Amino acid sequence: MTAVPGTLPPRATPDDQPRPGPRPRSRTTYRNRVAAAVFLIPTILLIVVLRIVPMASAVADSTRSGLPGSLAEPKFVGLDVFREMFASAQFWNTVRQTLVFNVIVNPLQIFLALLLAVLLTQAIPWRGLWRTVLFLPAAVPLAGSTIVWGIALRPDGPVNGLLELVGIPSQPWFTSPDQVIASLIVLASWIGIGYWMMFLIAGLNDIPPVYYEAARIDGAGALRTFFSITLPMLRRPLLFVLVADTVSNFVLFAPVQILTGGGPESRSNFLMYDIFHRSYELSDPYQASAELVVLLVLMIAIVAVQFRLLRSEDGDE
Amino acid sequence: MRTSKKGAVGRVVLTAVAVIVSLAFLLPVLWLLASTFRTATETFASSSPLSWHALWPQHFTLDNLRSTVDSGFLVALRNSVVVAAATVVGGLAVSACAAFALAVIPFRGRSAIFTIVVLSFLVPFEAIAIPLSRSFSDWGLTNTLIALILPGLGNGLAVFTLRQFFLGIPRSLSEAAHLDGAGWFRIFWSVYLPLTRPALIGAGLILFLFQWQAYLWPILVTSTASLDLAPVAIAKSFGAFSTDYGRVFAETAILAVIPAIVLLSLQRYFVTSVASTGSKE
Repeated sequence: MTAVPGTLPPRATPDDQPRPGPRPRSRTTYRNRVAAAVFLIPTILLIVVLRIVPMASAVADSTRSGLPGSLAEPKFVGLDVFREMFASAQFWNTVRQTLVFNVIVNPLQIFLALLLAVLLTQAIPWRGLWRTVLFLPAAVPLAGSTIVWGIALRPDGPVNGLLELVGIPSQPWFTSPDQVIASLIVLASWIGIGYWMMFLIAGLNDIPPVYYEAARIDGAGALRTFFSITLPMLRRPLLFVLVADTVSNFVLFAPVQILTGGGPESRSNFLMYDIFHRSYELSDPYQASAELVVLLVLMIAIVAVQFRLLRSEDGDE
Repeated sequence: MRTSKKGAVGRVVLTAVAVIVSLAFLLPVLWLLASTFRTATETFASSSPLSWHALWPQHFTLDNLRSTVDSGFLVALRNSVVVAAATVVGGLAVSACAAFALAVIPFRGRSAIFTIVVLSFLVPFEAIAIPLSRSFSDWGLTNTLIALILPGLGNGLAVFTLRQFFLGIPRSLSEAAHLDGAGWFRIFWSVYLPLTRPALIGAGLILFLFQWQAYLWPILVTSTASLDLAPVAIAKSFGAFSTDYGRVFAETAILAVIPAIVLLSLQRYFVTSVASTGSKE
């Protein structure tokens, strides 16, 4: 997935304390409450329908089991499905491959996005154009970029053509167990780097120029300035993009489903795809639900960590 | 002067890096466009061994576009446009209302509700799409446009950026309107919304991109080809035409060109809304 904008950075705002309205009487308070409720009803309904109901049903489904394909109502089995799942080597392979992919792809993307954000906030000609070009892949829908890269990385595709031109033998990419994760990283990064770079450029532009002037007067070099001013001042946007990127790569689906089907040798059988595959192609919705609960717990943990980090940063100020 | 000369050399090096990196990111797009206007045979002939013709068709043809139109891809494209447009309009209404209540109306528990809204939408939609699709089928919503539109309406980032923008509007405006006897809805409609155009465009872009990208959810809740969204349609023709990629290239190019134009013409609004995610306010 590309970096679908579906996530956002939470933070405590000093502004959240209710302020006295223009007419601080209890009738005003009551009217404010009614007005706020009316304005919030659609959002609250969407949260209930689109988030709380499916989470609850995932948890409920994971405690049931039945024979695959059987028409009988599934029976309540408590934590049996989890016990079986935790004992299965296949499940741990899925978890391991998901983690391997994420531990590499997220820091890599954010590191390169940071380098490019710093580069494209320097005074160089046409920097707006370079920013736009790097951002362009994020505009291509993921299913489309998946197909373009799937064809580009074929044995007779242009990437291997380029490699042969410089004397490197043609590589198997998506069809090799050893290269499938690297291929997915190339695809995800082509999309993600420019997208997250935009967030970091916005963060860099927020750093007050006086800090840089002060550093120049003190005679600090480029590296020193970067580590003592840019990096610390950029902590919040960096944290935000790292977590948002991780969340989106954890649920990466289209490339796996369209190009690899979890293979070869289950090396790209990531959690998100495995849940889909079990639900619809293996007719094993019970373990799929249990895996979904694992995925949700991971997501909520990541989100909570992000929330805590941003909160505590607020507390320092 | 020594320093300015060093600065000039540094600038040339930085510019060169920017050009090379941008070209590397652009190449797949150029290759896609070139391959849209030539036969698949020529596409592979030019890439293995690689020649400059990989980026420029030798025998220009519109056959791929023609076959795309004939295959009914336009129906899928129309579905995508309808779903995305409905999502932008509905999503903006929902998010602007929520953002207004969370930024402007003082009430007890506001900060708690803001936290709940933020936390629930931080969980990525894909993670709950599969159980949600079962509920949708229980509710009889499978194979409807509503099923395709509904999940796009609740977008945390849209609520968040609009709320940030509302917080920046001076309170004195709403207080003055209050003294004139205006209710909250009047203040929202006549004071806040007219000032919010840039933020609304930014939030609209976020909503649009989410739907234009949608892939997993449409395959979960639709099974009739007439309701296929464009990304699903190209994935299907990619699976079906593994020998002739011409049409796949053409469909992908069309699918990509639309958001590219929208995004490039409205890029600065996107940047503005993105900026609010890192601000300290």
